[in-house]
Amino acid sequence: MINVILTILAPFFGGIVYGIERVVKARMQRRVGPPLMQPFYDFFKLMDKRPIMIHSLHALMGIMYFIAEWFALGVLLLGNDLLIAVFFHVIAVLSLVVGASSVRSPYSVLGALRELMHMISYEPLMVLMVVALYLVVGSFDIKDILSYDGYPILKLPFVFIAFLLTIPMMLQKSPFDVAEAHQEIIGGPEIEYSGPFYEALYTGKWIEYIYVFTFVFLFGGSHYWLGALLVIFAFLFVNLLDNSTARLDFRRMVKFAWGFLIPMAAFNVILLALFE
Amino acid sequence: MGVLVALNVVVPWIVALIIFLSKKDVVTNVLTFLMLPILIFTAYLAYIQPHPVLVETPKWLDLLITLYDFGLLGYFLYQGIVRKSGLIAILATIQILFLIIVLIMMPHSQTPNIYVDSVTLMFYLIVAIVGVPIAIFATKYMDYGEKGKHSFVAIVVWFLGVMNLAVSVNNIEWFFALFETTTLASYIMIGFRGDKEAINNSNLALWMNQIGGIAILIALMIFIKVNGVYHFSDLLKHPTIISMAALGFLSLSALVKGAQMPFHKWLLGAMVAPTPVSAILHSATMVKIAPYLILRISPIIKGTLLAKLLIIATGYVFVVAAVIALTQNNFKKILAYSTISLLGLMMLAAAVGTPIAVSASLILIIFHAFAKGFLFVEAGVLEKVFHTKYIEQMRRLIEKAPLTLMFIFFGFLNMTFVPFGTFIGKWMMIEEVSNFLQHGSYILLILYVGAGSAFLSILYMKVLGVSVRKAHGIEKISFVKLPKRFNFVSVWYYVWLLAITIFIAPFIADFIVPIAKSIAGEPEIYATGLTLHMYNSTLYFWQIFGALILLLLIHVLPYFVKFKADIVHPYNCGENFPRHMETWNFECLAKYEGYFVAFSIALFIMVVVLGGGLL
Repeated sequence: MINVILTILAPFFGGIVYGIERVVKARMQRRVGPPLMQPFYDFFKLMDKRPIMIHSLHALMGIMYFIAEWFALGVLLLGNDLLIAVFFHVIAVLSLVVGASSVRSPYSVLGALRELMHMISYEPLMVLMVVALYLVVGSFDIKDILSYDGYPILKLPFVFIAFLLTIPMMLQKSPFDVAEAHQEIIGGPEIEYSGPFYEALYTGKWIEYIYVFTFVFLFGGSHYWLGALLVIFAFLFVNLLDNSTARLDFRRMVKFAWGFLIPMAAFNVILLALFE
Repeated sequence: MGVLVALNVVVPWIVALIIFLSKKDVVTNVLTFLMLPILIFTAYLAYIQPHPVLVETPKWLDLLITLYDFGLLGYFLYQGIVRKSGLIAILATIQILFLIIVLIMMPHSQTPNIYVDSVTLMFYLIVAIVGVPIAIFATKYMDYGEKGKHSFVAIVVWFLGVMNLAVSVNNIEWFFALFETTTLASYIMIGFRGDKEAINNSNLALWMNQIGGIAILIALMIFIKVNGVYHFSDLLKHPTIISMAALGFLSLSALVKGAQMPFHKWLLGAMVAPTPVSAILHSATMVKIAPYLILRISPIIKGTLLAKLLIIATGYVFVVAAVIALTQNNFKKILAYSTISLLGLMMLAAAVGTPIAVSASLILIIFHAFAKGFLFVEAGVLEKVFHTKYIEQMRRLIEKAPLTLMFIFFGFLNMTFVPFGTFIGKWMMIEEVSNFLQHGSYILLILYVGAGSAFLSILYMKVLGVSVRKAHGIEKISFVKLPKRFNFVSVWYYVWLLAITIFIAPFIADFIVPIAKSIAGEPEIYATGLTLHMYNSTLYFWQIFGALILLLLIHVLPYFVKFKADIVHPYNCGENFPRHMETWNFECLAKYEGYFVAFSIALFIMVVVLGGGLL
């Protein structure tokens, strides 16, 4: 039941998470920050704006991104196979990339191509993480993982660390926000969207928060308090990292993912396979 | 059954002969069209017969094939001399010598020479449904300023018959003859245009594939010497241990035929030929012999060192070919690299050899045949109607060639995205390998599949991104009238792919599972309604439909949706549009290509030397 509610209200919860994030980030910088409901105020303001677009395909892909992202979350929460949910996320990336590269704007196209770099950085790691969870729990089913009696995090510390460092890539946080890179390519894929169409993209990003943190939650097994703690920890850690680091080159990001994170996760899986 | 096998093989040959002799447009067009229902019907009739079946053949046929073998090798030798290629001549001579040795050693065997099982029948269906439309496509394609239309179509049709025979032989010596016949066919077709590049590339294809032929002959010698058998069915039933060295050489020939690195150059060279050649080589015939061969021997090699090394080598190709494809800018070359890559995955799955892995391999073979045939047909349309060969020229394709772009989009979606067969193959592989992980380490395989599929996805997204690029509104979509035959073939593939994808769960449960069962035992896959179950995992029908609808919307909707909003220019901030982007052509990776290939040679040698137990 809670899955259904979470899925349907995902944009709302995602907005709240985003609101909290803005407050937390501001406090880390000794600012007061915006009110908690600021993302929703933005939402209403953007919906009210005059709709402007480059062309219909571009605007449409923004909306498809939102729908695909929501659907991927639905598959994750309502389906029963994590691996399928990981691959559903690719559809969202597809519409984002096709949309962003359909306009003749250097920032947008660069951003789209960098989005693909993001994908080759985190996609194999997500697969590895799901397999690692399978090794511990013995099932790809999210329900089985959430009713597993042990503590998956204890058996998968390196996988967890690797995933923790992947979150900035998925949520476009510094040091790995190369696709958005506000100071450099001014938002990348999102730059050409405006008004209600931008809102679709913006809300899609909120859903991505829920999607990512659901995976973090799984590391707690049936101990929901542990899962919740891990989520809070991951949330704070990612924001701290975002505040305290500078953006890296996309090459460094890919190298870091392939040279460090994936071997680390693989090492953990091999150890687990040997000792189980 | 014997009659049906003969029909499936001989009908294309007769049609090819008539086309070749009459050289009339009407005859060519009508006959190729008629081939479609006839071959589908005969393939279907064969499919509903009880199988597997061993078919006796008359004695004179054996003699004929042997004579034909010598004739063929003599022709290769002659070509080597005429074209002043020492390599071809030497390889042909070696083959003649080895063949003589094999014939002297060969004991008499009572086993029939034709063996028709469900894999064979599946290939009949693929050849009929995927292969024949390419011949239909070729009849129109060759009208666009190409010479020798009739002989070309005749060769394509003849090739289909050869493929049908190649997948139904039981005698490995016959298989060698047909293996070399497909080599001959590809040699003629690649060199069809007769210019310098075509000649060079056809020579390349010839000598590389001859290495595969030599490997089969060596395998044959060892089989006869060690085990005394030379039939596939005898090998599968053989009570004692089959010689690993022979199996190693047999898989070597599969790797060569499947254009696995470092022997991938011949398949890339095939793109100088008219596009139907690529379509036919990549989809229903030729390269599919490679996974077919591995599937044949997969019950014997399952779990051996050879299988593990094959997994390592082909998995490596799966990833690396996808990476190299990123650095290419010729559309046909990109497709060729992605074929090489996916062939690696098919062979990997076949080499793993468990029931689920074999099902995954079969699914990949079928879907890859459909999608690649489709994509190459569209590449041909682009080339002839819209004069587009490179992806730089594909800009604004959405305006110039909306229908073709839609088909290409759909073909690409079929190659990686969620509800389509290729995805299901990968999904099955990952889940299956996760099972092994609990006992023994196959971690590399998971990395291979995860990484390779990520690379392939970004490859397709990149190409799609270019073809929709446009500064302002897409108002001037011009629906160019395409020739009827082009549209027929495109829609044919489109509808098949769509239909199979919607009914993918019953399709896998009722069609694939029996085939996999006959090779490797009952896989734990079943369907309830349109929902697919595998072990404890489920792919719900709402997930299949949801993804399908999302993707259909993404690739069809742009032509119909017109938002009522004000139109503005993109925000450029005075920047020039960058001509050079490293994230675009991946030059940072291009310079490693040499290392990639070098490493693949090492893996190749390892497969033969260590896997074959030659040390």
